Amino acid sequence: MKRLASTLCVAAIAAAGIAAVGTQAADVVVGVTGTEIKVGSFGPLTGPVYLYGKLAMNGVEVYFNKLNEGGGVHGRKLVLVREDDFCKPEGAIAAVKKLVYDHKVFAIIGGGCSNSTLAARPEIEKAGVPFHVFAAVADGIVDPPLVNIYTTQLTATVESQAQVQWALDHGAKKLAIIAQHDAWGRSRYEPMLEDFKRRGLAAVADEEVTVDQNDGTAQALRLKSSGADAVMLVGYPKAAAVMIRDSIKIGYKPLWIGQTAIQDLPALQNMIGIGGALSDFVSITTVPGHPDDKQYAEWRERLKNTFPNDDLSVFNLMGIAAAEVFAKVLDTAGKDLTREKFLAAYDTIDNFKSSIYPGPITCKGRHKCNQSPAFVKLENNSVVSAGTIALK
Amino acid sequence: MLILSYLVATGITTGAFYALVALGIVIVYKSTDVVNLAHGELFMVGGMLAYTCYVMAGVPYIPSLLLAVAGAFAVGILTERIAYRPVLQHGLSSVLVATIGVSFILKGIGRYIWGGRGDYLAFPPIVSPEPIEFGNIMIMSQQLVVLLAAMAVMAGLALFFKCTRAGKWMQATASNPKAAVLCGLRIDRIYMYTFAVGAAVAGAAGVLMAPLTHLYPDVGFVLFIKGLAAAVLGGLTSIPGAVLGGLLLGLIEQLAAGYVHSSIQDVVPFLVIMLALSLLPTGLLGARGLRKV
Repeated sequence: MKRLASTLCVAAIAAAGIAAVGTQAADVVVGVTGTEIKVGSFGPLTGPVYLYGKLAMNGVEVYFNKLNEGGGVHGRKLVLVREDDFCKPEGAIAAVKKLVYDHKVFAIIGGGCSNSTLAARPEIEKAGVPFHVFAAVADGIVDPPLVNIYTTQLTATVESQAQVQWALDHGAKKLAIIAQHDAWGRSRYEPMLEDFKRRGLAAVADEEVTVDQNDGTAQALRLKSSGADAVMLVGYPKAAAVMIRDSIKIGYKPLWIGQTAIQDLPALQNMIGIGGALSDFVSITTVPGHPDDKQYAEWRERLKNTFPNDDLSVFNLMGIAAAEVFAKVLDTAGKDLTREKFLAAYDTIDNFKSSIYPGPITCKGRHKCNQSPAFVKLENNSVVSAGTIALK
Repeated sequence: MLILSYLVATGITTGAFYALVALGIVIVYKSTDVVNLAHGELFMVGGMLAYTCYVMAGVPYIPSLLLAVAGAFAVGILTERIAYRPVLQHGLSSVLVATIGVSFILKGIGRYIWGGRGDYLAFPPIVSPEPIEFGNIMIMSQQLVVLLAAMAVMAGLALFFKCTRAGKWMQATASNPKAAVLCGLRIDRIYMYTFAVGAAVAGAAGVLMAPLTHLYPDVGFVLFIKGLAAAVLGGLTSIPGAVLGGLLLGLIEQLAAGYVHSSIQDVVPFLVIMLALSLLPTGLLGARGLRKV
């Protein structure tokens, strides 16, 4: 009896020891325990462009919550830690340092503003923390490629080339540009000029619009005088609404080609107010359809339950879409998670059919995982697919 | 000729925007010698309150407009009582700094309450959104509404300052606060109502212009800068000057963008203002002689 008791004691001590060693082993991986994975996020939570940070992060969190309800990834729940970068370079560097060294996160999914995310790239490279970009579009974030940075957002260059390609594919002969010349606009405008040069084209008009413009009559008159039959619109929704409204006012109706900043077409139509204003307008889309569509009902409800002030928007969906790919990579990396295995798992993502991104996601052999620009248009106040293009 | 007609018409209607904002700035400055740097955010608050009533709650337009103006008036009173009055004894520069603080706070509140509903909130126009023919050109009817409103507000304010006791008290307080106290005026109350009236004008502008500017927490900043430029050009103490400054600013912007290039649209007006102020330091219609700023 005594022998049995002592055998049980030894077994119990051994089991406890093994468990302790197991826990220690799991703890060796930064941000990973036996029960949770700590994931960081940075982007603007406040300030004028909080939409690209806060709302995208709300989307990520909603996706993580859904996963956690089902037991997480390989039994580990995902915990999101947020840091505000105020959309400023110094803010992003500080936010990354805080996430890596204070919060000790396993990986980061974030990057709302291009400039600030670009500024944080060296710090991310130094820390070696895996970084998945969810909203920022500057090519320089992933180009030249770094082993620990991937993006599932369409990049600025891909979008600019796609706008020009769409115009040419649809028979436009005289192409014009109207663009914001702020940092965001330049990250698209300059690759567009390069693309014009590469194709041996010259813009018949090259006009500027500001993000807070309240009237675009002067620009519309200049575009009309140039005889442009297609206009590449590189601007935020307000600038786009003002330009289209005032062009209609002076009787000018070219083919307008927008990009992902103006993909919420019903909202754009509401802002313009004039019936049929978008009959000659197409835009590149990150998410097909409209956030109010039936296909997003589950996300609308989940978002409302967690963040009652949010009406599901494209920004939320950007976060949800990126989180879906991020979770797929985590799942592929397996139960014995390490940063190396996680990064290696990106290279296995090949033609992944996301439930939100319009085209397949491929990270195999490249770090710009999303290279399938799709276009949408408005028909009977519904967003419908206008088609896709093959970049040449 | 058609291009010139369009540019002039657009300059006038855009100028009316700036004039309406400038009027609120002038009212406060005229009575308190303070430029309220939170004026743009009061514009935003007015627009957002109207959006809440009209679009979200389905209240008819006119009651929504009145509620928004009343709300902005109340915010004007609150900000004066909480933020400006306690620092007034430390001088006008302290009040100026307080207005910056209020600007950030109102923007933060705006983001908290009305953020998360899309990047821009579309406010339905109160008149037809289709452009209407005016001579040989087309004009947006909502722009005409703003133009008429700017004229009406200007006339109303001119009458208020000329014909009402409260208006005269405000002017007396601005001219010589110590003498006003000796005459028995309660200048703290006069300051409070001045900030409130300025806020109400900003709120009204916010509602009237919302269908054209659309609404977002930062909508007021650029309009405030343009409104301030218009007020400085016209003369910070002159109500007709605010309107004249606004119209000139709008015209210069449009003509420069139309005939030179759109990239100089935001630059040229400020160059003109710098030139004008070097020749006329008190603005086109401002009070001549030295004034404390």
